[in-house]
Amino acid sequence: MLRLLARRIAYVALMLGGLVLITFVISNVTPADPAALAAGPDATPDMVATLRQEYGLDRPLPEQFVRYVGDLLHFRLGRSIQSGNEVTDDLARYLPATLELVLLAMGFACVVGIPLGVLSAVRRHSWFDHAIRVLAVSGVALPAFWIALLLQLVLAVWMGWLPTGGQLSIAADPPPVVTGMVLLDALLAGEWATVSDAAAHAVMPAFVLSLPCLASVLRVNRAEMIEVLGSDHVTAARAHGVAPGRVVGLLALKNAMLPTMAMIGLRFGWMLGSTVLVETVFDWPGLGLYAVSSAIASDFKPVMGVTLCIGLLFMLANLLVDLAYGWLDPRTRGA
Amino acid sequence: MSATAAPGPRLARFRAEYAGVLRQGRFFAWTFARSPSALLGLALVAAFLLLAAIGPWIVPYPEDARGAVHLANRLQPPSASHLFGTDEMGNDILTRVITGTRTSFWIGLTITGLAALVGVPLGIMAGYFGGRVRSVIMRVTDVFLAVPGLVLALAIVASLGPGILHGVLALAVVWWPGYVRLIEAKALTLRSEAYVEAARTMGASHRWILWHHILPNCVSPLVVKASMDMGMAILAAASLGFVGLGAKPPAPEWGAMISVGRTFMPDWWWYPAFPGLFIFLTVLGFNLFGDGLRDTLDPRSARG
Amino acid sequence: MHRRNFLLGASGLVAASSLDPAFGFEREGNRRILVFSGNQPVPILDPHQRYDWSTRMMQRCLYDALVRYEGSPAKVIPWLAERWETSEDGRTWTFHLVGNAKFHNGDPLDAEAVRYSFERGLKLNKGISWMLSKHLRPGSVAAVDARTVRFTLEQPYPDFLSFLPLWFVVNPRQVVANAEGEDEGQKWLTNAEAGSGPFRIKRWDGQTVMSLEAVPDYWKGWPMAEADRPAGVIYRVMRESAPRKAALQRGEVDVAAGLTPDDLEQLEKMPGMVVTNDPGAAPFSIMLNTQKGPTADVNFRKALAHAFDYEALITIHKGDAQLMDGPFPPVTAGRIACDMPRQNLELARQYLAKTPTPEGGIELEFLHIAGHEVQRQIGLVLLAALRPLNIKVNLVAQPWPTLIGRGASPETAAAMTAVYVTPVTTSPDTVASQYASSAAGQFWGIHHLRDAEIDRMVAEAAVELDQAKRMATYAAIQRRIVDLQPVIFGMTANQRWALRPYVKGFAHQPLNLTGEVDLFPLFAARA
Repeated sequence: MLRLLARRIAYVALMLGGLVLITFVISNVTPADPAALAAGPDATPDMVATLRQEYGLDRPLPEQFVRYVGDLLHFRLGRSIQSGNEVTDDLARYLPATLELVLLAMGFACVVGIPLGVLSAVRRHSWFDHAIRVLAVSGVALPAFWIALLLQLVLAVWMGWLPTGGQLSIAADPPPVVTGMVLLDALLAGEWATVSDAAAHAVMPAFVLSLPCLASVLRVNRAEMIEVLGSDHVTAARAHGVAPGRVVGLLALKNAMLPTMAMIGLRFGWMLGSTVLVETVFDWPGLGLYAVSSAIASDFKPVMGVTLCIGLLFMLANLLVDLAYGWLDPRTRGA
Repeated sequence: MSATAAPGPRLARFRAEYAGVLRQGRFFAWTFARSPSALLGLALVAAFLLLAAIGPWIVPYPEDARGAVHLANRLQPPSASHLFGTDEMGNDILTRVITGTRTSFWIGLTITGLAALVGVPLGIMAGYFGGRVRSVIMRVTDVFLAVPGLVLALAIVASLGPGILHGVLALAVVWWPGYVRLIEAKALTLRSEAYVEAARTMGASHRWILWHHILPNCVSPLVVKASMDMGMAILAAASLGFVGLGAKPPAPEWGAMISVGRTFMPDWWWYPAFPGLFIFLTVLGFNLFGDGLRDTLDPRSARG
Repeated sequence: MHRRNFLLGASGLVAASSLDPAFGFEREGNRRILVFSGNQPVPILDPHQRYDWSTRMMQRCLYDALVRYEGSPAKVIPWLAERWETSEDGRTWTFHLVGNAKFHNGDPLDAEAVRYSFERGLKLNKGISWMLSKHLRPGSVAAVDARTVRFTLEQPYPDFLSFLPLWFVVNPRQVVANAEGEDEGQKWLTNAEAGSGPFRIKRWDGQTVMSLEAVPDYWKGWPMAEADRPAGVIYRVMRESAPRKAALQRGEVDVAAGLTPDDLEQLEKMPGMVVTNDPGAAPFSIMLNTQKGPTADVNFRKALAHAFDYEALITIHKGDAQLMDGPFPPVTAGRIACDMPRQNLELARQYLAKTPTPEGGIELEFLHIAGHEVQRQIGLVLLAALRPLNIKVNLVAQPWPTLIGRGASPETAAAMTAVYVTPVTTSPDTVASQYASSAAGQFWGIHHLRDAEIDRMVAEAAVELDQAKRMATYAAIQRRIVDLQPVIFGMTANQRWALRPYVKGFAHQPLNLTGEVDLFPLFAARA
């Protein structure tokens, strides 16, 4: 197990290195003059020249790369022109919000998707099964930003049931910071009014974000269950008189775990990407919104910072999934 | 030989020669037609292609696709004369959405095409030659797959500047690793097939084997993936357009239309609703179609 | 980090988790808190580093200046200075301060504070510095005694007074105490304040929510009854106009800026909504690159000006705009009406025929602010208007800093750039200088006009003490500008805000930038 862990970590380090190289290449392909962009609108030509020297933008590329890596190791990701803060500060500020959304979405997808998928397999060919299949297919095809807008229109504006956007109501005081995730912090502090406020704001974004993952989880669980239900040892157990419910619960579910987890690992990436869209529509103060508003403003460092941050997050998540896979499935141990 | 009239010898010879292929083709069609969702997908894809092909000729207000200005007519709700309503410059939304089909088509085709063009050779090389070559290629591929696609594409477009061409380029860069993975797996299994070994022992060159044995067998998974990717690529491009980094006005690109239409929610809801509907149906169509193809061409991987 | 500041007491603040829209305003105790929403954040609060409409709005709440603009048409009224004199030669200005002004931490606001603030502004050479840097050398501001400040200008400058409302006074003691090395307190003042104004910071997040609380014993006193005085104001940044409008409708926001003309038209029809409508001062123009490309030819520029559909500008604003009838905005002293080009395709073709490209067949770039719906629509109008001349237009949306970065030099400036230039004062010199060579590098000089005669006339009129001669020169400048057509002169759009009917004290002031509102006199009337 330890060997597996060591190998995987080495692998992640290698991937991270590759990512750093990619972000460096992207940064240097920019047609705009990076020094002028960093200096800002009121800068005179001398100020721009000073900045060019200060950031080492007139040095040869390999030297710039070394400098870049050095900066990264010291957690120096540059400064955002728009917010005026260090990118690392901004990232630390916005990361918990995105994590909160993603975790809620994944949780929803699993909690709802697994039982529904299993049920759909058990009641195969019923209308319920067909409805689930339709949901499974359309969930991936729905443009996240479109369904987000429509939900916002119907639920927030026309019905008034849910707030239009943001993480909390305007003048509400955020709970004391423990994790940075507002809902969790409010729960930990026992501030029930804030909990309900935060939950009301999180419902729509988390739901929209979870849709593709939900669809995939439905499919995978359904397929796995169908296969397992038709397999020999299940038939044998049934023949021995084991109650059908226990059959489903014990044997089948455990076997469905692995592919579901693999699917979630895959979908996590797409979900992280979709936060860009969902956060924009719901004004959710996370990494996605940060990246988009910076990209529109040609504010470059934040976009690179978010790319690195999300890349790292994704790699870590995959690492976790790999490890969990290895732990759950003895066949893959020592692989 | 039955007593058929004029088509006679030519057609009969064709039939005899390609009997095997024809039979298999009919079998595929029959298998495909058995699945209602696959047929739905086919219908949607066919409709999409039809609109892309003849769209500009059947639209009710062709000059609206180029960005005419009819300010007196702006933001009209759906009606008999404007089935999808009008936008903020008075242009007919139905016209723009249909014209946008063509744009989306070439976007999807270019992204998928470029990605396959780069990904397939690399995948074949990695799978067939193995060893060092495979190591290097797969590592590089893994790095690209380590970042969620939309985020990487966003970063690339932020660097290059907005515009549909840059968006397409960025998405192609994000997409090619998927093809490498798929083809590499397939080439790997093919490499150890008996007939490939036999060909090697008979002295066939690598090139000959790649061209005659490996590549043809990669076609079916490639076609399945490509058809599903068309839909997802269109969705990704529309996402970039929505965020504001897509086509420039007055080009009728679906994502950009939703982006502008967003300002006009909720009172003028038809503006973003219809382009979004078209995106959904297109992606759905390609997904169902791809699913159906996979079930037909490679039934062992049936996912129910 | 900022989060820690959030822990400041939330005494009795009713959480807005009650979704009842009738409960329109936030409260503290039994006083209201007014919520204002706009699209622009406030990244740097320091009054000597930066100004734009959102930043200025906050700065005015937290700081005071020697004088103030009030009313429409705008007039300068005493504020920190109760009276002032000018010397005969126009070079020395002496201001007498009120005796009771004090900073939020209790320190008295004396002449030394004023001197320090002006010197700081000049020294940092950012933001507002350009307004006076040509006329005030460092060291030329003197604190004669505790209540008297004297300014000695390089040359006589009659418009000097018109800039003073924009120069705020900071507390030297606090700034020096919080300075880091040589930075003159810039880092500290980015998110903190050292002011004397009617509000102080309660909770500050320049990108999202800025919460200010009222100073009950503000030295100037409050314009409304003590019982009506608000507990504070909140500025909430919402980047998209659709959610801002929704928030206004749901009662989460009391005043909203930056809504589209279509939104405003809808809101006007609703009960429980008030939409203001006042003539604005900021002219919109399409700046043409006079040094490079096809637009360098004056005939080409005239062709463009005569092809443009001016009426569409009014339609886009739903009638709430006035076409410019002269190159100077309506608020500027000494402005005259001239014969401005209007859409006339025949005339446009004639002008085009005199250029090297009589048949058109070229593509021009039109640069505008990303996310600005009205500018985007104007771009589409331009595209359609130039089509008959066989000129293609490439619409490019860029964020503000990139846009002005490009416009800074004639080589990189686009053929056409959309710009609103708010005349921050009534000074004719400021506006006339926009067309002089010295304007190059600033966003109002993206046209890069180089005309020796205009330069000469501008320099003359700036220091001319004889009013009649001065105005005559400015009239000549205006006529010459129209002849040279460095920009397509557009319109001045009305300034409009949407508010709830219980919001009182709203006063329009045409020299306010874009969405800027004077929050000091606002209060919520009781039922």
